[in-house]
Amino acid sequence: MISPVLLKREAKANWKLLLIILAVLTMYCAVIVIMFDPEFGDSIKALSETMPEIFNAFGMGNTGAVTLTGFLSNYLYGFLLVVLPLVFIIILANRLIARYVDSGSMAYLLATPNGRVKIALTQAVFLLLSVIALNLFVTLLLIIFSKAMFPGQLDCPRFIMLNTGLLGLHVFLSGLCFCASCIFNDTKRSNGVGAGLTIAFILIQMLSNVDDKLESLKYATPLTLFNPDNILAGEPGAGISFIILYITGLILFFIGIASFSRRDLHI
Amino acid sequence: MRIIEVSHITKDYGSGKGVFDVTFNVEKGEVVGFLGPNGAGKTTTIRQLMGFVRPDKGSVRIKGMDCFKKSSEIQKSLGYLPGEISFMEDMTGNEFIKFVANMKGMRELDRARELMEFFELDAEGTIKKMSKGMKQKVGIVCAFMQDSEILILDEPTSGLDPLMQNKFVELISKEKAKGKTILMSSHLFEEVERTCDRIVIIRQGRIVDVDSMERLQKNKSRIFYITFDTEKTASDFAAAQGGEHMGGRVVTASVSGDMDSFIKALAAYPVRDMDMRKQTLEEFFLQFYGGEEQ
Repeated sequence: MISPVLLKREAKANWKLLLIILAVLTMYCAVIVIMFDPEFGDSIKALSETMPEIFNAFGMGNTGAVTLTGFLSNYLYGFLLVVLPLVFIIILANRLIARYVDSGSMAYLLATPNGRVKIALTQAVFLLLSVIALNLFVTLLLIIFSKAMFPGQLDCPRFIMLNTGLLGLHVFLSGLCFCASCIFNDTKRSNGVGAGLTIAFILIQMLSNVDDKLESLKYATPLTLFNPDNILAGEPGAGISFIILYITGLILFFIGIASFSRRDLHI
Repeated sequence: MRIIEVSHITKDYGSGKGVFDVTFNVEKGEVVGFLGPNGAGKTTTIRQLMGFVRPDKGSVRIKGMDCFKKSSEIQKSLGYLPGEISFMEDMTGNEFIKFVANMKGMRELDRARELMEFFELDAEGTIKKMSKGMKQKVGIVCAFMQDSEILILDEPTSGLDPLMQNKFVELISKEKAKGKTILMSSHLFEEVERTCDRIVIIRQGRIVDVDSMERLQKNKSRIFYITFDTEKTASDFAAAQGGEHMGGRVVTASVSGDMDSFIKALAAYPVRDMDMRKQTLEEFFLQFYGGEEQ
């Protein structure tokens, strides 16, 4: 169903990109874990009270969080761990299909006994595997950091649940970018639509966080379906909403592959 | 037995671009040249044969299979050289050739090595840094290394120097001797002249002629530039034999068919210098099919 040869080639072509994003994530995660210090927490709380809108915009409004799990959720899962992996997803999704079509090298892939569905499915699997690897890395990294610096303070089951939710969001964002990469002939439009839509979703979410009057905007962005606070609070709706993200994400992958296998390719 | 069947295909891209009601066949073991000026619809037709693009109307079949629906099945017995060279730029030539071989499920790279030696290709370096000619050689290796029974080649000699063009012609002859079925597009006479049994001529998206190579050669003109001893001789010759007096002592004459009587007529005049070139494809079209249709 998928081509191991192509999978290997993509791993070789993209490991550097993954490494860079992992290095950046490691840095941010380390900084945030280190910042979990009761005294430092107080001063940042004072800071957030002077400009609550900014903190809200970045999904870091819940500064009252006193547990380590709450603290990480507030400072990492509201914004940083959404946006940084998104950059990776946008670049990779575009590389995997649209760039080959745009440059014409897709002709070489299709001039082999591998059908379009197989090629696109391989690329989709590669993107999903990369995203899973990235999330697994972040989850383990934060657990190890937390255990080393603040033993016994991380609520592991809840934290893993939180990361499962985040993965759902990433699967959704990957699906969207991959779909755009499959549908459009040139990288410009693939990037424009994939990156454009996902960034718009983030901006809408930021706006809806800032002001109560704009709160209803949250219904205009699928990012609302990943709600760290609800997941940590153990609300039953939280699980359902991130399952919706997984399913929609996979549907978007499917639409992308179907579109790619049917349309005219000017290569 | 018909290997490639193109039957009444139309792909309209608007404003006269595309192909319209194109029909031709390639029989088993035949080498067919697909000739036409740039932008005539050669690549558009080939894309449909490769299953990259679906025709609006008509059908394209290879070995009786629909080119779009059965493309991966067809690819098992097909070697393809794209008209535009664009590889994965981050790979070296060798890596790319090996990658394509693996994608094709090939185990042996002997044939690829043979071809690289034949074309004197050293593909150690990254593709990004290769010259156009080197990239073209990499493409040729990828198309021929599988020893497929069918070959579809889009402008195969573009970017190659004359020496390598000769080598390519040699390769085609060898493949032909092996019984391969080859369709090869070109906008150069010379290339198809030396390799093909038959030609299909396309212009502005329509087939204008399907012909044997011999008839084409018979109808093709040579253009002579003759320098005479004096201006008077030049104008006399132009008046008597037909030809355009270019001013000075030079006359341009276009000769098709009866070469012998032209040479004999010319022998009666004092000639100082003579130059000849082959007619370009555009000139050929102008001569046989009239000017640009609007």
